[in-house]
Amino acid sequence: MPNDLRVEKLTIAEHLEKSGVSRRSFIQLCTALMVTAPVGLTLTSKANAFDVAKAVGKARRPSVIWLHFQDCTGCSETLLRTSRPDIADLILNVISLDYHETLMAASGYQAEAALKQAVEENFGKFVLVVEGSIPTKDNGQYMLLAGKPALQVLREVGSKAAAIVAMGSCASWGGVPAADPNPTGAQGVDSIITEKPVVNIPGCPTNPYNLLAVVLEYATMGRLPALDQYNRPKFAFDRLVHDHCPRRAHFDAGRFVKEFGDEGHRQGWCLYKMGCKGPVTHAACSTRHFNEVPDVWPIGIGAPCVGCTEKATAFRVPIFQTVDIHAVTPPEALPLINTPVGTIGTAAAAMAGIIAGGIGGAALMASKRLPTGKETEKAESGSQDGRPDLTGKSGGN
Amino acid sequence: MALTRRDALIRLTAGTAGAVATGAASTAVLSHSAQAEERPAPPINAVAMLYDNTKCVGCQTCVAACADANKLGPNRKVDALYRTNRDLNWTTKNIIKLYKPADGKSYSYVKQQCMHCIDPACVAGCMFKGLRKDVKTGVVTWNAKVCVGCRYCEIACPYHIPKFQWEGFNPNIVKCEFCKERLAQGLQPACTSVCPTHAVIFGSREEMLAEAKRRIQESPGKYYQDRVYGEREGGGTQVLYLSKVPFANLGLPELPDESVPEKYLKWQKRVYSYLAVPAVLYASVVGVIRNTWKQHQEEMAEEEKQTGLRPQL
Amino acid sequence: MIDTWERDVPVYDVPIWTRPFAVLCGLSVVALGLVTYRELAGLGPASGMNDAYAWGIWKTFNTMVLTGLGSGAFSIGIAAWLFKRSRLHVVMRTALLTSFLAYFSGLMLLGVDVGRPWNFYWVFTPWRWNLHSPLLEVAVCMPAYAMIPLLLENVPPVLDWVHAHRPQYRPVVETAERIMVRFYPFIVGLAYLLPAMHQSSLGALMLLGGDRVHPLWQTPWLPLLYVWAAGFMGFSCVAGTILFCSLAWKRPIDLDVLTEMNRITAGLIGSWLAFRVADLLFSGKLGLAFAFNIFAGLFWVEVIFLGVAILMLLDSAKKRDARLMFHGHLVAAVGGMLYRFDPTTLAFQPRAGAFYFPTPVELLISVGFVSIAIAAFMYVVKVLPILPAPTGLWYRMEKEHKWTQDREVGASFVAAD
Repeated sequence: MPNDLRVEKLTIAEHLEKSGVSRRSFIQLCTALMVTAPVGLTLTSKANAFDVAKAVGKARRPSVIWLHFQDCTGCSETLLRTSRPDIADLILNVISLDYHETLMAASGYQAEAALKQAVEENFGKFVLVVEGSIPTKDNGQYMLLAGKPALQVLREVGSKAAAIVAMGSCASWGGVPAADPNPTGAQGVDSIITEKPVVNIPGCPTNPYNLLAVVLEYATMGRLPALDQYNRPKFAFDRLVHDHCPRRAHFDAGRFVKEFGDEGHRQGWCLYKMGCKGPVTHAACSTRHFNEVPDVWPIGIGAPCVGCTEKATAFRVPIFQTVDIHAVTPPEALPLINTPVGTIGTAAAAMAGIIAGGIGGAALMASKRLPTGKETEKAESGSQDGRPDLTGKSGGN
Repeated sequence: MALTRRDALIRLTAGTAGAVATGAASTAVLSHSAQAEERPAPPINAVAMLYDNTKCVGCQTCVAACADANKLGPNRKVDALYRTNRDLNWTTKNIIKLYKPADGKSYSYVKQQCMHCIDPACVAGCMFKGLRKDVKTGVVTWNAKVCVGCRYCEIACPYHIPKFQWEGFNPNIVKCEFCKERLAQGLQPACTSVCPTHAVIFGSREEMLAEAKRRIQESPGKYYQDRVYGEREGGGTQVLYLSKVPFANLGLPELPDESVPEKYLKWQKRVYSYLAVPAVLYASVVGVIRNTWKQHQEEMAEEEKQTGLRPQL
Repeated sequence: MIDTWERDVPVYDVPIWTRPFAVLCGLSVVALGLVTYRELAGLGPASGMNDAYAWGIWKTFNTMVLTGLGSGAFSIGIAAWLFKRSRLHVVMRTALLTSFLAYFSGLMLLGVDVGRPWNFYWVFTPWRWNLHSPLLEVAVCMPAYAMIPLLLENVPPVLDWVHAHRPQYRPVVETAERIMVRFYPFIVGLAYLLPAMHQSSLGALMLLGGDRVHPLWQTPWLPLLYVWAAGFMGFSCVAGTILFCSLAWKRPIDLDVLTEMNRITAGLIGSWLAFRVADLLFSGKLGLAFAFNIFAGLFWVEVIFLGVAILMLLDSAKKRDARLMFHGHLVAAVGGMLYRFDPTTLAFQPRAGAFYFPTPVELLISVGFVSIAIAAFMYVVKVLPILPAPTGLWYRMEKEHKWTQDREVGASFVAAD
């Protein structure tokens, strides 16, 4: 890294101007940021790119130090597959990536010195991004960075950071190295560093936009996004893959893939019976896919989710073993136990009333004309032949 | 007309004899039929379903599978959306319902379909055996050829299962028939074969009861009253339920161990057994009427003499 | 006005087409038109029945309740033939006609109500019968009763008419009458056995409702209570009809017969009420009658109506007050109808959230079919000798050349026996 850019005293706007980036390009960058930033960040609540530009422009590029431990560098790789902003934009204009073993030019003693300098110059202000788990067994002897145990390096650097982002499952909870029998005692960052705020972004790799979002939020607003009980950002990890899966309709209709390559597989049916861990995995993959190509994510390409974000699932439960499904929110469309049935229409009620009234009225009118007791006595004398006299004497109206 | 001693004696004897005969015959028939009554047992190869609502996720795959297997179309008149029926009806033989308690948190599901009772009330009520319980598998099926559409089965069923087709000229009674065509081919019913969480499973009634009891034993306190519904309720059913909430909340009524026909049709069955009671009654009635008829004829003749008019029969 | 009833005489001096008759015919035609609509559109659009209340007023009211009213032939017949109340013979024809029309209209409407009537022919195949079903008993017994004993017993007035108006068929008539006389006790015996069976089976129908019928009505004695209620309802219907007709057409009233009918009716209602209350008491359900809900209310309405009816009937018998008699019979009929209707609908709760009320089409068809019965009655009593009257009225009719008579004493069927 060129020395004069390492410690940033300019705001991002000033820096961009100095770097010769046109205002137009900057607004384009801000539009891209707005579009790709996950919902839940303050960025997305801005009304237009100019507001974003104003917010971003005022910010200062945060210093980011990136440490690798027991990793495969996949999480760095995933970061390369972004275009909004792309890695160049990111490290040149949004953040100040002061130490990254894969991307930086230095190596050996120069690298060591670079780390030391980066930490000292940004003491208490830099964001530490950790990739890879940390071996803790036998005093952390199973990984040495320039002769020092990784455990020690983490503690030294982490204690001076403003915030720590554990990028990927390995850094979040141990990942692949922590799989049984975990011979190196691999652990995630937050079980080692407990006094600093740690943001876990699990995934193997995690979606790069998860990291970008956290970083942007921190860069523009100076704070970390809302986290769940495992310190994972809620904007990505508050939902199950199953709940937002595009193949959910197939699950609900019982259309399951029985064998890779079968008719169902070709039709894109649900992979639950192939061992998809979607129902127990919290991640945003079902809505934000990878490589910026729609449907490029495991389930989208026909491979069951392996639950790479979840400590209880990934590298623990066999890939093709089905999981139990719990805690699924019932859809609103389900009927309740006792459905109301039957109504009374106004016309029907009126008609019933009329009928009852009519019959009652007729009966009443009729009975009025029948002779009562007293009249009966008077008329007891009836004639035996011929028509008896019925008029006049009795039965008044 | 004065009664001679002879007539009086004859009448008294005849009357007493008639009464005694009726009483004796009735008692004999009633006690015989009472002895012959015993609680019906499940058929030998009784099939069964076990539904465990702690495993059900309300995905409704079983609803879709049932509709497909039974070739039931969507009923657009009930609801503008496909298949979002509010209840079982003539296009829905199987439905998942949601029990939402007041606290809004501890909800649970129930799968509703015909319970295939051991002693079904619908079968007991159906005049011409339109609803019939298979003697081997115990599946209760509907026969379009003899059904009159009187809907007595709807009145009789304590679970409110048979549904009548209220539209059109050729109405059916629709209810789950255990996918009898699939059973005949050795397959499982559609609903049990697709359930992704195996919340509803299929087997013989003995197997399902054993499985239910095993689950209860493994997790005491998990299921309501550690009880499997359908083992004895209403005489026993072939669809068994395990639930974490009270069964009554799921619309499964708490019935006594006696089935509805057993409890309520006891006397009806006894009195009409062999038509003995009616026959004896008829004989006595005719006996008395013949006597009165003679008297009446005499009165009519007398009247005819007096009035000169034809007597009115 | 007051005279002894000795003979049945047609209402010969009233024209057939009166305003009430025209109205009833109109209602009947409307109902038959609506029946066509029901056949084409299905039961759903034509009625308010639903899967929870699968039986609407057609089955429960027109068939179950009104045939209770139409049990006059049954109950009055038993009083006349089995208990030798010979005074009641003169009202038997009215009872038979009302019963026949009530059954006919009820059974026709039953045919409209069932969804697949073309399958009813299975009633003639005993191997298909489910002998445990109370509904089977009703389905076999009611039509059998209406078509055999009841129909046959309604034939004599027609024979009388033929004898008077078509002298060329007199030999046929006399032969027919002789045959009838020979088998009369067997026909009449059936006329009491069959209604006893199916009126009680109508009660047994709601037994399968189980505990969904409110416990104040649900009892193993339901069949007995139904047939017993049919007993007093029959009396009330016939007495009320005769009183109404006598008023409408200015016919003499025989208070002796009516007071006897009153006393029998009161006795039947009283014993029925006692049995009903005793049954509730001994099964421990009487307490439910004192709850503050609609069911207790319905129960008390029934009890009060019937209790008041007893008082009115006995009092009017003592006072020989025809108006009070009419009121008493009306109240008794309403009480009985309410009792037979309640366990089928008002006291029947299949599940929570279920409700039923008939639609206008349903109501019109129900009313229409009752109108058919009443209109038919109005027509028939004007043509055939049905309604009771003193012999003098018959002579008067003869004077007006309405009926020719063969004055040859001994030529009738009675002497031939």
